[in-house]
Amino acid sequence: MTEAAPVVFVVDDDPSVRRAIKRLIGSVGLQVELFGSAQEFLQGPHSDVPSCLVLDIRLPGISGLDFQRHLAHANIHTPIIFITAHGDIPMTVRAMKAGAVEFLTKPFRDQDLLDAVHVALERDRTRRQQEAELATLRKRLETLTPREREVLPLVVSGLLNKQIAAEIGTSETTVKVHRSQLMRKMGANSLAELVRLAERIGIPGNTP
Amino acid sequence: MIPTSTPILGSYDYSEVARSVFIAVAASYVALDLAGRVAVASGRVRLAWWSGGATAMGIGIWEMHIKGMLAFRLPVPVEYHWPTVLAALPVAILASSVALYVSSRQKMGPAEALAGCVTMGGGIAGLHYISMAAMRLPAVTQFSPALVALSILLAILFSLIALLMAFGLREETRWSVPRRLGSALVMGAAISAMHYTGMAAASFFPAPLPDLSHALTISPLADNGIVIVTFLVILAAMTTSSVDRRAGAEIQRMNRELERRVAERTLQLEAVNRSLRNEILERERAEEDLRQSKDRLRLVIDTLPALVWSKLPDGSADFLNQRFREYTGLSVEEGLGWGWMRNAFHPEDRAEEEWRAAFAAGEPFEKEARLRGADGVYRWFLLRAAPLRDELGHVVKWYGTTTDIEDRRRAEEALLQAQDRLAHVTRTQAMGELAAAIAHEVNQPLTAIVTNANFSLRQLKGSPLNLDELQAAIAEIVNDGNRASAVISRIRGLLMNQTPRTAQLDINKIIQEVLALLRNELTRNRVSLRTEVAANLPRVRGDPVQLQQLLINLIMNSVEAMRGSAERSRKLSIKSVENAEGISVRVQDSGPGVAPEQADRIFEPFFTTKPEGIGMGLSISRSIVESHGGRLWAVAVSGGALFEFTLPAED
Repeated sequence: MTEAAPVVFVVDDDPSVRRAIKRLIGSVGLQVELFGSAQEFLQGPHSDVPSCLVLDIRLPGISGLDFQRHLAHANIHTPIIFITAHGDIPMTVRAMKAGAVEFLTKPFRDQDLLDAVHVALERDRTRRQQEAELATLRKRLETLTPREREVLPLVVSGLLNKQIAAEIGTSETTVKVHRSQLMRKMGANSLAELVRLAERIGIPGNTP
Repeated sequence: MIPTSTPILGSYDYSEVARSVFIAVAASYVALDLAGRVAVASGRVRLAWWSGGATAMGIGIWEMHIKGMLAFRLPVPVEYHWPTVLAALPVAILASSVALYVSSRQKMGPAEALAGCVTMGGGIAGLHYISMAAMRLPAVTQFSPALVALSILLAILFSLIALLMAFGLREETRWSVPRRLGSALVMGAAISAMHYTGMAAASFFPAPLPDLSHALTISPLADNGIVIVTFLVILAAMTTSSVDRRAGAEIQRMNRELERRVAERTLQLEAVNRSLRNEILERERAEEDLRQSKDRLRLVIDTLPALVWSKLPDGSADFLNQRFREYTGLSVEEGLGWGWMRNAFHPEDRAEEEWRAAFAAGEPFEKEARLRGADGVYRWFLLRAAPLRDELGHVVKWYGTTTDIEDRRRAEEALLQAQDRLAHVTRTQAMGELAAAIAHEVNQPLTAIVTNANFSLRQLKGSPLNLDELQAAIAEIVNDGNRASAVISRIRGLLMNQTPRTAQLDINKIIQEVLALLRNELTRNRVSLRTEVAANLPRVRGDPVQLQQLLINLIMNSVEAMRGSAERSRKLSIKSVENAEGISVRVQDSGPGVAPEQADRIFEPFFTTKPEGIGMGLSISRSIVESHGGRLWAVAVSGGALFEFTLPAED
């Protein structure tokens, strides 16, 4: 996977603060996009690149903390760095528990922000990589025939071909064919690798 | 006896007949007259009238017969046997007395009338024939039985008429004299008729001269003497009767007058009696009303939900209502006088002391103090007393109530505490919000400044140098610096309502309003207040709410400063005076005062010496005064703090 240029999204209602942050982050060669409110951010198109969010707690309309929850519900996992003029401990705890990367009090030290941005981008990069791998595995999973998909959880749970044949009501030879097919399709060279791959996509789940 | 010869013819001397008739009429008149007298008299007088009347009438009738017989002339000498003649007189008197008796009675029924007329008629007839028997003449008298009977019948008949007339004429009326005269004529004629009928019944036949012993001839002289005596008797009777009648009439008139007066007086007395009775009734009713009203009043006083009492001018109690006695558990003896003041009040409240002062001054009194109940527990009461004065203004009595305000007081205290807490929470919260607002508003430009400055430093340290961008950053730093300053100004303006609503004001009125607002606060903190406001101060122009805010800040600072002082020494003084600039107001307290090292800092924002303070009060106060063109400062004094502010007078 080729590495795309990462973007830092800044959401703050104060244009002056936004511009200053953009200058600072831009000075380390990162691309910065600015938004005045949470709504503005949600409406804008976002390129599919590693990114992080520098979010003011006090925003017009929806607050930073509520926006964080909102994003989580929407399954958007962009790492968040909170900046606030007046943060207290409960607010910080809540933000960090909800997965914030950092919680900075305005005015912050420039290096603190830049460090937090790097950490966040790295975390996003890792997450994106994992998601990409997962997506590949899912695609591979989709190439399995229904019979092979039925056999996969039984294989990774350690059953012998004979046992599997008895379980699904077919011959041991047929199970062997399915097994080699799905190993090939999932890109696993060994049973151990197949088990590791299957675990990442949640197999075996609770479903038999 | 058989007549031996032809009867001797007699003749009448008519003048004698006329005289006899006249006598009969006169006697009748007397009889009628006297019947009335007898009727109206009583007792001895009646007896005297009766006997006198009967005598006079009897003599008259008797004389009339004598006269009638003398009028009969016979051709033979006639003599009279005088004892027989005299014996006829009592018969006449007796008959007359019966007639008078019957006719003078209250009532005369048929039986009485019959008995009366028979007796009287019989008497008269008897008199007649007895008189005839007294005749002594040489002849034999023979009687015609029919004429005798007729004469007796006539006698009885005429007697009846006489009785009825006499009875009917008893009452004195205006016409009684003429009627009586008429009646007398009728009666006289009747008597005469009977007599001459009787005479006609007798026939005389010649006979030898009878025994002439005791017989005498009635000479004309004697005859006239008898007539004169008879008339004198009749006249005497009539005169007496007339005098008596007149006296009787006068007496009657006087009696009637008396009766009228008595009746009048009786009526008057009855009227007086009636009104007296009414008055008595009314008084009874009024007394009943009074009693009921007293009972009602007593009931009201005893059941009022208050302790009610009255006191003598010296302040000692002379009445305590039932609730009082019930609450304090004191008996009447223990409570009266000065007892309850000494025994029942909480000594700390100094009620007796203040009470005595009020009594001495004669001023109405009001105080809240604790009063011990029968259970030994003290409760708060509101004591109120007012004097009753006489027309000279001297106190004659004190009346008062003592109302239980424990619950109200507790509720008030709880409310005040709750208000205090609420005020504190609100203030803290407001401060928190204010701080957050300040932090956010000021931090935004500061953040931008710091970030831009950091960027600039990085630019200067590293490369490549982007001069345009560096310039832009520094320009923004300047802008944001100014912005931060503007935010601070705006917040100050926000805190003190920068656009004042100005009006022409009397600062004394503002002071009064603020004191009214804070009265409860001062009382609760037991701060004694003294105000000295100068009259006719010049007006100032300003925002009344801001100036109130200013005074509240200064006064509350003082009250809070004195919380640590002893209650007795918590004194607050507020003075307003005119000065060269306009007016000046001084707020002085007896608290710990301002430490010299803090004196120059107390007006700084956020500087506070109070644990719960936010350090804005004096800062805002000074801003308010300055926005009104005045000055506020602290004056160094010993034993407290003194803040003074001036405001310019309006032109």
